[in-house]
Amino acid sequence: MFFQQLINGIVLGSTYALIALGYTMVYGIIELINFAHGEIYMFGAFVGMILVTVYQVPFFIAFFLAMALASLLGITLEYLAYRPLRRSTRLAALISAIGASIFLQNLALLIMGSRPYSFPSPFVSKVYKTSFVTVSKVEVIILIVSFLLMLGLTFLIQKTKIGIAMRATAQDKDTASLMGININKVITVTFAVGSALGAAAGVMVGIYFRSVTPMMGLMPGLKGFVAAVLGGIGSIPGAMLGGLLLGIAEVMGAAYISSQYRDAVAFAILIIVLLFKPSGLIGSSLQEKV
Amino acid sequence: MTKKILSLLSVLLLLAILVSSGCGGNDQASGPDPGPAQEGEETPESTVVKVGMVGPLSGGAATYGQSVRNGVEIAVNEVNENNEIEGVVLELLAEDSEGDWSKAANAFSKLAEQDKVNVIVGGVLSSESEAGGPIIMSAQIPTISPSSTATGLTVGNPYLFRNCLSDEVQASQLAEYAVTELGLSKFAILYTNNDYGVALKNAFEETAGSLAEVLAVEAFMDNDENFKPQLTNIQQQNPEAIFIAGYYTEAAKIAQQAKEQGLEVQLLGADGFYSPVLVEIGADAVEGAIFTAGFHSGDESPAVQNFVTKYRELFNEEPDMFAAQAYDAARIVIEAIKTKGTTPEQIREGIAETENFPGITGNTSIDEEGDTIKDVLILKVEGGAFDRIR
Repeated sequence: MFFQQLINGIVLGSTYALIALGYTMVYGIIELINFAHGEIYMFGAFVGMILVTVYQVPFFIAFFLAMALASLLGITLEYLAYRPLRRSTRLAALISAIGASIFLQNLALLIMGSRPYSFPSPFVSKVYKTSFVTVSKVEVIILIVSFLLMLGLTFLIQKTKIGIAMRATAQDKDTASLMGININKVITVTFAVGSALGAAAGVMVGIYFRSVTPMMGLMPGLKGFVAAVLGGIGSIPGAMLGGLLLGIAEVMGAAYISSQYRDAVAFAILIIVLLFKPSGLIGSSLQEKV
Repeated sequence: MTKKILSLLSVLLLLAILVSSGCGGNDQASGPDPGPAQEGEETPESTVVKVGMVGPLSGGAATYGQSVRNGVEIAVNEVNENNEIEGVVLELLAEDSEGDWSKAANAFSKLAEQDKVNVIVGGVLSSESEAGGPIIMSAQIPTISPSSTATGLTVGNPYLFRNCLSDEVQASQLAEYAVTELGLSKFAILYTNNDYGVALKNAFEETAGSLAEVLAVEAFMDNDENFKPQLTNIQQQNPEAIFIAGYYTEAAKIAQQAKEQGLEVQLLGADGFYSPVLVEIGADAVEGAIFTAGFHSGDESPAVQNFVTKYRELFNEEPDMFAAQAYDAARIVIEAIKTKGTTPEQIREGIAETENFPGITGNTSIDEEGDTIKDVLILKVEGGAFDRIR
């Protein structure tokens, strides 16, 4: 029973981790909380659902197309809503992000209506039973795909040229640009990668919970943000850890305390962690810039 | 340069004055004759009776509110088109509550104080009607809810009526049916934590608990997506059936997730299940689900089929129980206007005296508490459609 709930928590947490990565990457580079990230997640879920149901595209192709289109949306968003404000106060960009979030949400409501859409399961539903846990095929796939995406991201950031450029930009934007790094390109790539991860989470949650709605990005967007802060915003491993912990805390709260207080439990943990470690769990490397 | 522009402007101005005065002259010559004559025919004789409506027209429960508005609209159109009540024109004023009780309270106040409606059909959700009850009582506006099923809703409020079965009646009759007719003996309950879910849960737990066993009770919130923790807890207890006290969207997701984790049980529900969306989202996971309802559009009686045809023509979709109960509620109001009169007080008297009204949701009477007396239907999902099994 405990292990069963733990698996439920890890599966949910891995989707939070993917969302949190989008927040933390963008924050690491331009110190902006991209509140429209939850809507990119929702957009990814809708694209995946429409490709699978209307155009009969095979699931894994739809999955990558959703990620690609969400990247484009992320890049467009950055170009239209954040780039013109890059030299103004951080508050202006934040408000622009909130505006973009509300705009995208209402656009989706206008086009798709308020009712939920069914995301058909792309796999024959199958359950793997052992003596003490039961895992469904969808859960296994979510875990494997999330793990591979996070592995891929770590490789991208640690080993590739653009990854080095991203880390340099995160440390000091001006010096990095003096060293010949194209800051605009780095920011574009950051938005593209973060949005793709968010869309991947959206599609996977769509097949996990079997429904897609225009408002679906609201709570997971908030939770992804909380996970990023919990782990230490700006830190990539922090976002992964924060997401997993938040997912586990939420499920355990629902299972052992009360299902009505699960969000309260999750947010209470955030407050406690921040009281003792304001920079987040793995946030110590983040120094306040002067 | 400026001189040229000035002279051009003055010429234009002069032209404008000439044209406008010319037009004005024409208007005065031909205009007044038909105008007042038309007004004179209508104003003194026909009274406009304002029918308010409160419900969620947007948000998660929007299909309920939209259905209620559509049902009332059909009844109002029938009266106006056929000139059914001599000298009375009905006007429908629909207010959106977004499914939020505080916005519903504002909507009730607006209808009562600002729009001065004669009667209200609504609220749709129980929480809306509970918020609106005291408001319409002090404003003395008769209000009939087509769908608020909270226990004891109308007690102690002479202005509040309803045209639907209380949660208590539905849930306890379903529990009885499940034990005696379906032979089930081990139940789990999963309820949405609002007035509707809690009332259903309490009644079901009481009846099922006295006749058989209730092994687990778990709660969830409206708009929840993830039910795995609760379902895992329930699975541990090995029940034969789960009673889902909630609405169709969550019910369909619960069914999907239960199936996904290999929990094979009989699904039971109440009238919150009655929507085509249940089968759309739930697909094969909701197959075989059994639930109570107040209306079934497959019924072959001419009154039901007349309503179903009109509804399809006007809104291009299948009417649900909310639309039917709203239509009947509006029809009860129209009956009251016919027998008593158009003032709020007369309409209140008329509604209170309703006895054996032949509605499309069954013969309806209003008891002395303002509650409804009707039969409970029990439906089953078979082959993606609803079948009446009792």
